[in-house]
Amino acid sequence: MGWVVVIAESSTVEAEFPTKADKQQPAVLIKGRGTEIAFNLDENAPLEDVARELDSQLAGQTTLFSRGGISINTGNRHLSADEEEEIRRIFREKSGLKIARFVFTTGPSTLEQVDVDPGLQLGEDTSNGDVEESPVRRNRRNPAQFSDFSSADLARALSGMSSQGQRTRDRAMVVRGTIRSGETVDHHGDLVVLGDVNPGSELLADGDIVVMGSLKGLPHAGASGDNKAAVIALEIACPRLRIGGAEANATASGSVGARRRKQGSALQWPTIAYIRQGKIHVSPFAGRFARYTKGVPYEG
Amino acid sequence: MKGRTIVITSGKGGVGKTTATANLGTALAMRGHSVVVIDTDIGLRNLDVIMGLENRIVYDLVNVIEGRCRLRQAMIQDKNRLELYLIPAAQTRDKDSITPEQLKALCGELENEFDFILIDCPAGIEQGFKNAVAAAGEAVIVTTPEVSAIRDADRVIGLLEASGLHRPKLIINRISADMVKRGDMMGQEDVESLLAVEVIGLVPADERTVAAANRGIPVVHDGRSTAGAAFTRIAARIDGEDVPLKELETRPGMFNKLRDMVGIKGRAYSHA
Repeated sequence: MGWVVVIAESSTVEAEFPTKADKQQPAVLIKGRGTEIAFNLDENAPLEDVARELDSQLAGQTTLFSRGGISINTGNRHLSADEEEEIRRIFREKSGLKIARFVFTTGPSTLEQVDVDPGLQLGEDTSNGDVEESPVRRNRRNPAQFSDFSSADLARALSGMSSQGQRTRDRAMVVRGTIRSGETVDHHGDLVVLGDVNPGSELLADGDIVVMGSLKGLPHAGASGDNKAAVIALEIACPRLRIGGAEANATASGSVGARRRKQGSALQWPTIAYIRQGKIHVSPFAGRFARYTKGVPYEG
Repeated sequence: MKGRTIVITSGKGGVGKTTATANLGTALAMRGHSVVVIDTDIGLRNLDVIMGLENRIVYDLVNVIEGRCRLRQAMIQDKNRLELYLIPAAQTRDKDSITPEQLKALCGELENEFDFILIDCPAGIEQGFKNAVAAAGEAVIVTTPEVSAIRDADRVIGLLEASGLHRPKLIINRISADMVKRGDMMGQEDVESLLAVEVIGLVPADERTVAAANRGIPVVHDGRSTAGAAFTRIAARIDGEDVPLKELETRPGMFNKLRDMVGIKGRAYSHA
């Protein structure tokens, strides 16, 4: 069960307490995130300080609640296997929580950080007029509560993202099973679903979204503004589709990709949706990027 | 021995949860089991009407939970003296009158004495749903072959799985074999592929179901009803018997035969 499904109704912030009273960004920031707890570890503080602070924070906490998921955001810091194990050890020994899984993520912890300055543009494709409008994740369930997040932090987070686009995408989450109506899967990285994505559900991923099944929910690939992200599914049949800052709406014929399906034979091909010249295109997925350019522009 | 507590739910209203509860309860009792059916639709009780026990209500579920009466006093025995008891919902209260923990405790108590406890869940996914689901160890989802009902069933399956009730079983109610054959209605395979859960029974649309409900006699007592027979088979499957899903019978017409021969299959819906 290496996956996290956030049920929309229960996605309330359950615990949020800065660790220090002063203006400085704390080394450890704890947030409730749906049914699990997210820990944001300051990427600049020495790891020993972070570990010490985490240790004392957890030891002093008695009100933490989790259904088994702990997500740890390390910002732009990459932890070695030993360092990750150390963090895990602290959690196991000090938190008193039953922890079924750890999810380590990198990159900006919440995309609302981008909201601070809407003028900032992410990725390369945002120069096109079609996608300029709010190239940020609009559907986040849990608005960030970073009151003390400085613009310097923001700029650093953003530069880390656009100059090294791979950063936020080096960890994929695999969901084994059907994503059902009302469920939101939210991952800072690539997202793979081994099953159907049913109508009324949402997928949010900083990287690509791959669905080994029928995609009928609302996907948002490159949700942090990465217009190079793609959505690949055995069947794309969703009424709306978002990649980065672009959005495609279904035509009267039913869904994105419906036109493609009509043109094709009865055989269903895996389909890819991607951004080309600021617009979302769909085409049969042939496994090579060269083929994508033959896609059908979405006209909605 | 320990009884099984099964919640019968759907999300959408009007798909036949209460009818299914009354009939499965009756059918299980006819198989010789001791059964309690609990109506948790507080404020909108119906199960008593469908079972024809409305006139016998003295105490209700909320009375039991509030300790105003003993459990046995609120249990109304079936008209045919089967080992089947109804705990009716309170009509003058609301869903917040009980908590999930209270219902859980009540069902835990009943499990020591009875083979099956069926919980008739209210429509929706609010407090009433949470109450009903908390007590159950298994779930049966009722849906009709309509996109709206299936969408809600999908949502409910997700919620059930999130609360630890895995592998719910599905009843497809009011299915019309003719319409499925014509391609105007989703069939078993369509629903199964959309919801990815096991179908435990298909209940054909049958006028006798309505007539029986109006008379307050569950349709499983009606030997000529196809829906009644379907509920009896579902009860057997719940009981662990291996009963193959019976193909729905259609009235074969010349055109249908011809169409089957050339293999045309209609599609009435684009995506659900």
